[in-house]
Amino acid sequence: MPVTFTFGEMLSARSVIGTTLAELGESHDNLWVLTPDIGATLVEFREKYPERFVDVGLAEQVCVGVAAGLAYDGNIPVVSGMLPFLSMRALEQIRTDVCYPNLPVKIIGTHGGLVGNGGSTHYAVEDLALMCSLTNMTVTSIGDPMMVGEILRQSMSMSGPLYIRLAVGKSDKVIYEAGQHDVEIGKGIVARDGDDVTLFTHGTTVSQALDVADELAADGKSVRVVDLFTLKPIDEELIVRCVDETGGRVVVLEDHVAYGGLASRVADVVADRGLKLTAFERLGIPQVYAGFGDDEELRDKHGYGHKATVEAIRRVLGTG
Amino acid sequence: MSRSTPTTAGANSVESLEALAFELRSKLLELCGTYEGAVHIGGDLSVADILVALYHYGLNVDPADIASPERDRFILSKGHAAVCMYIAMAMRGFFSYDDIVDTYGQLDSAYGMHPCKVQLPGVECSTGSLGHGLPLAVGMALSARHRGEAHRVFTLMGDGETGEGSVWEAVMAARSNELGNMVAIIDRNRQLMTSFAEERVVFEPYPDKWRAFGWNVVEVDGHDMTELVTAIDELPEPSSRIPTVIIAETVKGKGVDFMERNLAWHAGSLGAEDLEKARASLSSGHQGETA
Repeated sequence: MPVTFTFGEMLSARSVIGTTLAELGESHDNLWVLTPDIGATLVEFREKYPERFVDVGLAEQVCVGVAAGLAYDGNIPVVSGMLPFLSMRALEQIRTDVCYPNLPVKIIGTHGGLVGNGGSTHYAVEDLALMCSLTNMTVTSIGDPMMVGEILRQSMSMSGPLYIRLAVGKSDKVIYEAGQHDVEIGKGIVARDGDDVTLFTHGTTVSQALDVADELAADGKSVRVVDLFTLKPIDEELIVRCVDETGGRVVVLEDHVAYGGLASRVADVVADRGLKLTAFERLGIPQVYAGFGDDEELRDKHGYGHKATVEAIRRVLGTG
Repeated sequence: MSRSTPTTAGANSVESLEALAFELRSKLLELCGTYEGAVHIGGDLSVADILVALYHYGLNVDPADIASPERDRFILSKGHAAVCMYIAMAMRGFFSYDDIVDTYGQLDSAYGMHPCKVQLPGVECSTGSLGHGLPLAVGMALSARHRGEAHRVFTLMGDGETGEGSVWEAVMAARSNELGNMVAIIDRNRQLMTSFAEERVVFEPYPDKWRAFGWNVVEVDGHDMTELVTAIDELPEPSSRIPTVIIAETVKGKGVDFMERNLAWHAGSLGAEDLEKARASLSSGHQGETA
């Protein structure tokens, strides 16, 4: 398979998507795959079901519109592309053509966060804020490439739209062992238990959060890492329980603008449910256009890398 | 592929279609006189003949079976002409005209300024934001083609609407996917909301633009029922590979002299006195035509 740009670094997630779609294409003869010229992950589906594969070229708006038209007619369309363009260029089509009539269109894509070194044109950093604001939309952000397949399988029975955000990380880590956790849309995963502080995160920063928890464990600090991979609907009960069980100490870490993403979702639950916090910190992308660099360098530069996360947790624990 | 037998509407004569168009315009004026808010009367009147030609002649649809897989699909991409579509559909038996007049635009009414499929089954798509209909049509046409269904997918757009870039994305996608089961109809009334189109945007040479994108172009007088019916009769088979656009030359406000080509009548409501004048103008024009 020819590899261009940075997609080659996402090989395992790509193959999971490709294999899963090809498998689902067989069991669902109304499954369609559409893309605006981002087809590398989709070769297997395209070869098996060419008549249900549509590449519209560089045209995100019509790509989502066509998906909606297919869904109106009883089909299950999956739109695959780069999220900075799908989430913004086609935002109105997603909102008005997909979410308004509540159609089962799946939007799945890469480049969520400061990943891929394409510069700010190519980073989707506001996408979760945009998607979470849409009525009827279910919003997910997946770190573990193996989880993508499970989410896609579950999505086949959903009656409304779904957004699946992926990164293009170099550290394309398989975070969870097979069968280690029940994966269910709408339910968070306690990736590591702990009592002192809860570190809520999603997507590509889950593995960073686990590394941070490891480092602090050596100091005798017990960090609970919670993967809230479904941002909408948010797992309120899990948030309530974690706040209660870790002394009201909360840190949110995400590869998204720090206001409008998961931190805001968690803060909404805290306010709406009247939860008592002892300390709260949010780590994410500040209000800047981030520039170039590899993923880790950019996270470090913008204050939500590994070291910054360790420091934030120490502050929250009063030991910083 | 053969088309299934059209329902009885297809048997309408040009004369009876013209009478239906007069009835549709009369009902539009009545609603414009009773509803307190603004009605998009200018663009409603410019598509009245087209909607009659579709719902009472060309479209293979059945009010008693709105989910039939074989039905032709119709997308009102210029969603602001919703009330004209509602009434044309009511006259075909889809809805009750009295319900439309009694509830239009009111809280919890299914009949709103722009059509909503969720609230009003029978309408194919929720539209209103311009430039969204043709991409939806491409999806529906692909689905029909894939399933071996012989129906067509019609989309009605305003010419001003084709300033939206997404229209041309869909124009390319329809041609690239060889969707001869797609028919776009352009309400070429040459007016935008606030100006005459050519003053702001160079549309001409308009039919050539469509030809350049590889579409089959048919040009008609959008108020001449014979030409509309002929264009529908001569559509290529849905199994063909080239999509068709019918560019219908129209007059915004058609049928009411003081509304025709008048920028003040993009939308509005009619007081009792204006309603009488409008009715008189409509009647005299209609009598002139039928004389």
